[in-house]
Amino acid sequence: MVIDHDVIVLGAGLAGMRAALEAARDGANVAIVTKVHPIRSHSSAAQGGINAAIGEGDSWESHAFDTIKGSDYLADQDAVEVMVREAPQDIIEFEHMGVIFYRNEEGRLGTRAFGGASQARTYFVGDITGQALLVTLYDQILKAGVKVYEEWFATKLYMDGGACCGVVALEMVTGELHLLRAKAVIVAAGGMGRLYEPSTNALICTGDGYSLAYRAGAPLMDMAMVQYHPTTLAGSGFLMTEAARGEGAYLLNSLGERFMKKYAPNKMELAARDVTSRAEATEIAEGRGIDGNVLLDLRHLGPEVILKKLPQIHEMALDYLSIDMIKEPVPVRPGMHYEMGGIKTDVEGATVIAGLYAAGEVACVSVHGGNRLGANSLLDTIVFGRRSGRAAAGYAKGTPPNRGGEDVLRAEQERLQQLLARSYTGETCAGLRLELATMMDEKVGLYRSDAGLHQALEALRGFRKRYENVAVGDKGRVFNQALTFVLELGYLLDCGETVIRDAIVRKESRGAHTHVDYPERNDADWLKHTLLTLHRDREEPEVSHVPVTITRWKPEVRTY
Amino acid sequence: MKVAFYPGCVSKGACPELYVSARLIAEPLGLELHELVSAPCTGAGVLSEQNRELADALNGLTLAMAEAEGADLMTICSTCQGVLSDHNFHLKNDEARREKANATIADQGYSYGGTATVKHLLWMLFEDIGIERVTASIKRKLTGLKIAPFYGCYILRPSEALGLRERPERKTYLNQLIALLGAEPVEYRGATKCCGFPMLTFNRDKALAMGGNHIIEAKEKGADLLVTPCPLCHLNLDGQQPDAARVLKQDIDVPIFHLPQLLGLAFGFEPDELRLNHHVVSTKGALEKVELKV
Amino acid sequence: MQFTIEVGRYNPEGVYADDAQPGLPFPPPWDKSPVRRYQTYTVDLPEHAVVLDALIAIREYLDPSLAVRCACRSAICGSCGMWINGHANLACKSKLAAFSQGGKTRVESPPSMPLIRDLVCDMKPFWDKHLAVRPWLENKQPTPPADREYRVPNASMEELIQEVSCISCGVCLMDCESFAVDQDFLGPQALAQAYRYAGDPRDDKTKERLGQYSGPGGIWDCTHCFECVQQCPKGVAPLDQILKLRKMAVDAGFTHNPGTRHADAFAESVKHSGRLNELTLMPKSTGLFNIVGQLKTLPSAINMARAGKLPPLIHKSIPGVERIRKIFQRVGGRFK
Repeated sequence: MVIDHDVIVLGAGLAGMRAALEAARDGANVAIVTKVHPIRSHSSAAQGGINAAIGEGDSWESHAFDTIKGSDYLADQDAVEVMVREAPQDIIEFEHMGVIFYRNEEGRLGTRAFGGASQARTYFVGDITGQALLVTLYDQILKAGVKVYEEWFATKLYMDGGACCGVVALEMVTGELHLLRAKAVIVAAGGMGRLYEPSTNALICTGDGYSLAYRAGAPLMDMAMVQYHPTTLAGSGFLMTEAARGEGAYLLNSLGERFMKKYAPNKMELAARDVTSRAEATEIAEGRGIDGNVLLDLRHLGPEVILKKLPQIHEMALDYLSIDMIKEPVPVRPGMHYEMGGIKTDVEGATVIAGLYAAGEVACVSVHGGNRLGANSLLDTIVFGRRSGRAAAGYAKGTPPNRGGEDVLRAEQERLQQLLARSYTGETCAGLRLELATMMDEKVGLYRSDAGLHQALEALRGFRKRYENVAVGDKGRVFNQALTFVLELGYLLDCGETVIRDAIVRKESRGAHTHVDYPERNDADWLKHTLLTLHRDREEPEVSHVPVTITRWKPEVRTY
Repeated sequence: MKVAFYPGCVSKGACPELYVSARLIAEPLGLELHELVSAPCTGAGVLSEQNRELADALNGLTLAMAEAEGADLMTICSTCQGVLSDHNFHLKNDEARREKANATIADQGYSYGGTATVKHLLWMLFEDIGIERVTASIKRKLTGLKIAPFYGCYILRPSEALGLRERPERKTYLNQLIALLGAEPVEYRGATKCCGFPMLTFNRDKALAMGGNHIIEAKEKGADLLVTPCPLCHLNLDGQQPDAARVLKQDIDVPIFHLPQLLGLAFGFEPDELRLNHHVVSTKGALEKVELKV
Repeated sequence: MQFTIEVGRYNPEGVYADDAQPGLPFPPPWDKSPVRRYQTYTVDLPEHAVVLDALIAIREYLDPSLAVRCACRSAICGSCGMWINGHANLACKSKLAAFSQGGKTRVESPPSMPLIRDLVCDMKPFWDKHLAVRPWLENKQPTPPADREYRVPNASMEELIQEVSCISCGVCLMDCESFAVDQDFLGPQALAQAYRYAGDPRDDKTKERLGQYSGPGGIWDCTHCFECVQQCPKGVAPLDQILKLRKMAVDAGFTHNPGTRHADAFAESVKHSGRLNELTLMPKSTGLFNIVGQLKTLPSAINMARAGKLPPLIHKSIPGVERIRKIFQRVGGRFK
């Protein structure tokens, strides 16, 4: 079937739904295409809070500086300014929508401390902030009557004459492939955490958006900037929110020391995430870890604080490790968490491709640069979700509808049929993904080297060859997850390739990218972004650079 | 052993057979029943939802009366058990609620101190009276009968107030008892589900369908009868069974026994003594299987 | 450790693995009947593994045709609600060791929800019910300006955390007996979300909401059985929220329904005699002028009378009933 809309939003997390809501308010005929029900989106896993400079004595300049310093000066300062200046109004708008933010004694919005912030500016709901925002936004989508194509899996962006004119998507329940035509498409499909093992991310975070845009010719920027979260639960990789440290938790090594003293004497456990993750990795590598983990100690916070402010992580530790954090410290280790890089956009969410927009984790404006501050991601999604929604709706107003695409749809149907027809050769999708993810953690994780990166690229080439042999274990039409898993693995391979290539290009250490062969930050040569663009009928992407936009904050030495 | 006996309203109203059989089995079990004749109705949860303070005071009074008797409070109704346990739990742990309740009942000469334990006869059989005594009292094994247990919601949920976290075995006592008495317990999903009684006056057909479905499920699994520790469930499952059959358009005809009646049969009492001849759904067929007449 | 798990399978299409060969990790073709059947698998997993670990292991390495919704694996996304040993639970929160007591664990899609495939049920009834309670803030006017939040006490926001913790997993509805018997019942989740907005001090339409929720399929169609409280993996306790709504509705004047009449009749009986008078409770709850309703209960009343189970016409009070009456007066409120 061919369906027409003004604006299509790919992804129903915070960024996607905010974009759709804005486009709808602007009068656009907007629809959301999502491979899971909106409530299942990974935004709900964000626990700690959302930043804004609202409070007395706080200023957008301070928030901007913290963000820029946090990014190790790779963030585009004009974009950061937009985000932090609009943050207060966006958060209050969510409060008006009904989010049950924490209040201080005066009944006004209250804050908690978070990593890398010079003063407390994180607004929160218990330790379920992401969920609280997501469900409220979903309720608003219901109120506005926005159309959602639920459990429709996007397989390709429809390009016509160099512009993006829609999405081809598989309707899971029927197995039918559809072409959804639109004048503008906003990609808000979230992160790519499954590229790494361990990762805090859900199984659905398979980098669909990055790959779809990349294959349509949109440049991906700074892909090497992969954030490891310092406190992921040992074994499973589940996120133990930074808010724990915000409430005062300690990080201890096997000697019982608060080791952050050696690495970030001022901020201690609330240093930026890359600094903290590297500190932990060093402690573990130098033999002061416990079975490959360090300890997150909350005992001194007392049961009241833990049960009231951090109930969800308390329950997680109990459920999955049988550890009661009121009585014992919890083993944690760094795990891959977030991709700072992504589809290059401007502050309106527009890519260089006409009709193609992006917002949320999948986009790179860049506001997070080389390292993202905690509680800035939720902010990123709602500010740029709104902006891209408005921009896309505006663009759609002045654009005639596309009338083609039937051939593209037919070609996709062919492609999927051929994929389904493959015979089993011994290669399993899950096995190949695990190998890929383990390799990425080993060679393209917290510490990178020239040798390691080139081995990684070789390995990836090998995985791509083997991917051609992966068969789909279910030949049916109704809810064929085996098919979508194979497609997702393809997206992960594209993500892997761009991360590795970007890491190879950047010959310095900055933010999350620690290159052991180039251990210093090199502003003279590398105060710039790397772009990878895949042109039609080419095997390898073109590498290019754009300078970092500096407005008023000169890059300084970054210590905590 | 001495118990503060709380028979509940229904056993002295529409289910007199429950009261009679409970009194009869007390002797073989060695229970000295001190009936709390002045204790009010628990409110069955209905009062609690509309006026919690009122329910706290009423149940606080009942519990204080048991404390004054110096004995555990024994219930013979799942609903009484659930409501009393709930209020006991909260009055024990919530100082504000306790103080308010005590203030309301102070001039009656009673005070809630949080020392009373509330236990259903079913629990007492295993926890206080002891299986040995129960077994020793059996004069007539119920071999040949397939009996489906029907617990009733309020003796199973919510777990915390009912002490089920500490004693999860309470969730299986009825099954165990049936086996102990020589009969075969029937496993079926409806055993722990709601009979529909709370909704009987709001949405009659639905409540009847709920109860009826469970009995039919048990019947299809071979049950000769259901046994329940709750007279409110009994009112729905037995009293309304003909109407349920009409709503579901199926014959049911499965007798429902009260827990003390089942015990009474096993202890050698005659069906008439246990008022098994005063049910809406005849118990004749089931009794014939153990060569008894009614 | 070895775990045996029995999975309820269903595929409306039937066979599909046409190049399956013995010894390879594809399932042998199973018969074309669209009827549900159970397929047994054995998996080797660590001791503390959960049901979801088993399902993922099955679909990744043993049988790629198994369809199951899952994403976060940590009880946040709400995808993996299903029946495990006959009761609804999240697969990612259910330890295999605890559920394998009988030697094996059985998982299946709940029978009260329409089925799409294997363990993937159609959640449309669930989402429709959520929508039906108008689950969005109807802003109390005047809405504060764009740079100012509503000023509300933190306690009023914290009170709602319990309801906002709902991850829409559907477990409560999947185990709700009232819904199983009547698909029109709004269900525990929708009503918990109804309270989330009715109880929000910034919402303007509390009265309209209470009126809507007091209607057919609403708060009075709940059978008060605590199943949802027991099964909810996030501690939302939907029944508690329904009960709060009932009190709010009665206080707001929505009293022309059997539920309120029932509560009033109950209270009156206990106040007057210290105990329940079943004889008058039924007719009073049905509504004394509700002739049709009264006639409906007549057959069962006759049955009870014939069995000798009709309570005595003269309803005796308990000794010391004055005590009870005093308590009612002292507490005050609606039943004074």
